[in-house]
Amino acid sequence: MNSLRKSRVSAPVVMILVTGFVAVSLLHLLLTILTSQSVYELSDLKREKRELETTSQILSEEVSSLASNQNLLNTASRLGMVANTNPVFLRLTDQAVLGQPLPAPIASAQSTNLVANSAMIIESTQISQVTVPASTTEPVAIPLEPVVSSSLIPASPTR
Amino acid sequence: MNSAGQTNISRRMRVFLSLSAILVLVFSVRLIDFQIVRAEQISQLSYEKRAVARTIPAIRGDIIDANGTILATTVYRYDINAAPAMVGPVERVIDGATQVTSVEQVAAELARILQEDVATLLPKLTGTSNYVNLKKRVDADTHRQVVELGIPWIFSDAFQNRLYPNGAVAGNLIGFVGTDGKALAGIERQFNACLAGVDGQERFETGVDGIRIPASAVVTQEVSHGRDVVLTIDASLQYQAQQILASEVERLDADWASAVVIEVKTGRIVLAAEAPSVDPNDPGKSPPEERGARAFQFAYEPGSTMKSLTAATAIDLGFANMGTRVSAPDSIRIFDSTIIDSFSHDTMQLTLAGVLRYSSNVGTIMIAQNIPASSRYDYMLRFGLGKASEVGFEGETSGVLNDYRDWDGVTNMTTTFGQGLSTSSVQMTSAYQALANSGVRLNPVLVAGCRDENGEMTSIPKSTATQVVSAQTAQEVVLMLEEVVEDGAIGRATSVPGYRSAGKTGTAEIPEGSGYGDYFATSFLGMAPSEDPQYAIGVMVYKPKQVHTNSQAAVTAYQKILSQVLLTNRISPSTSVSPDIPTEW
Repeated sequence: MNSLRKSRVSAPVVMILVTGFVAVSLLHLLLTILTSQSVYELSDLKREKRELETTSQILSEEVSSLASNQNLLNTASRLGMVANTNPVFLRLTDQAVLGQPLPAPIASAQSTNLVANSAMIIESTQISQVTVPASTTEPVAIPLEPVVSSSLIPASPTR
Repeated sequence: MNSAGQTNISRRMRVFLSLSAILVLVFSVRLIDFQIVRAEQISQLSYEKRAVARTIPAIRGDIIDANGTILATTVYRYDINAAPAMVGPVERVIDGATQVTSVEQVAAELARILQEDVATLLPKLTGTSNYVNLKKRVDADTHRQVVELGIPWIFSDAFQNRLYPNGAVAGNLIGFVGTDGKALAGIERQFNACLAGVDGQERFETGVDGIRIPASAVVTQEVSHGRDVVLTIDASLQYQAQQILASEVERLDADWASAVVIEVKTGRIVLAAEAPSVDPNDPGKSPPEERGARAFQFAYEPGSTMKSLTAATAIDLGFANMGTRVSAPDSIRIFDSTIIDSFSHDTMQLTLAGVLRYSSNVGTIMIAQNIPASSRYDYMLRFGLGKASEVGFEGETSGVLNDYRDWDGVTNMTTTFGQGLSTSSVQMTSAYQALANSGVRLNPVLVAGCRDENGEMTSIPKSTATQVVSAQTAQEVVLMLEEVVEDGAIGRATSVPGYRSAGKTGTAEIPEGSGYGDYFATSFLGMAPSEDPQYAIGVMVYKPKQVHTNSQAAVTAYQKILSQVLLTNRISPSTSVSPDIPTEW
């Protein structure tokens, strides 16, 4: 009588244990498969990260070149700009002009960069100057967009 | 039959069981050997076959200016190598079809990207060697183009390399590193402990295909990346000053020129420029003497710019005031020497302000001759002369200021107008900073500190303030120096329209052999705006050949640099006028 009761009680327990074991094994198998796949995905992502870091470095070096003082001076000179050694300020509160406005001394303008920079790997786009003949009375149309060379980074449209 | 048959079966069974038992025993012994006796050794061997050790390189920190502009940074460069033993035609799949490219064609493609000559590249690709270098340290873009060619016998090695995006801007201060990454000069070397990090180490396991096994990495040494050095200079102003100096050196046919600008209220060095300057990207292009920072490392006799300090000493000790009168001839006999003014003139009736305006050596001696040498020496020390500045730049000169007890009678007098001692440009500009700052000298600062990735600054220099002369004395000296700019024959060329400014010329002879040579170290030192000085400025032009008889050589650069400093820092033009101070009587 007792042995019969025992066998009735143990059968469901054995079933649960076997089912649980099988379930855990299947889960383990599934996780192993997923992990293996992730390993390759992770490896690919790391490779992609390295590529993106390289791209970032390449672009940073180009931006540094474009932002360098040497490039800015060269670009400004090409546009016909000269440094004014005579600071003048406009005070917004009362529109007063502080300082003595004088034309920039073109004769003493330094148009050539004299500070070496062998890290410059790219220069700004050369923008053609719009020249106005002295005798012209007709208004000269200003191009809506700067004239740029298609192979180089375009200049900002800001005027 | 039954009995015989059962006996046979029983015997076979015993044999089978015996053999099985032996087999199980053998396997058990092997199992115990593998799993227990040699378990650790086998496990270790297995791990070593799978495990890979890797150095995690520390990235060197950046050097940045006061506004965050990067002056030095770390990038990767690549050596492009080939294995000649493996060289052969390259198969490429293009639009689904396999195309074979000959070695000659591949070499031409490589030559174009590497900007090399095919004729020099091709011979390198022949032979039985497994290594030949094709080009060293190409940039990332070039490396990527080479990789995209898909050549199986081309390999590359990556290296950390130092990049100076602004080239020679502050190059003389920043210094440079060697091809092995070792810091060789300037801030790079002086602050190497901040910039250099510590490499890390890790071990991880890989599968047969070289793929890293997850969660197998063990970091045995944490990597510690380098920190950033933050300078006080303004890279944009530094560039403009270098540009101006380079132009002036060329125009004047000078050996070199330097400029120093110090923020009066803080002691921060806004710029310390010189020309010619070194491009740290390629320091080999500059001769050794042009790779240092002369503003810190070169000492010269300051000449007449010293007269401002002598005047301040005389006023502070009560020996003179702005209106003190002297009758100054153009020469004076001191023991067995005759000291002359820079120009011949009849006896001039000068006030102390006039002595400075006309830069009279004789007048300066007459004002200072009653001041005890020990007192003047003490003031010179307090102005920062005779010892290297608190910046402590590598190789910084302390100048030469002999103890006053070693001065002979002539030296006692020549030191009043800047001969018989030597100083650096930074020392003299710092002394003028004291005059501009109500007599309080602040230690000059070039490096604001060492900044970690969280933005926390360490190695911040201590700020020291020394009251060299009284505020009243300093103000009087500044007012007298205004006369030099407003009425001085040379000084007025330094004037920036709309601003009050003050300054002093200097034309120092350069010792050669036992006497002095033909050329001068011409300088101009001053401050602006005079009514509330914000910047102290010193410009020195060394041995100008075109204009070499007076300090005219320095004023053009001074004026241009001053105007850019005022403009960049949005200093409002003066709203007051300078008082009229008598210079003659």
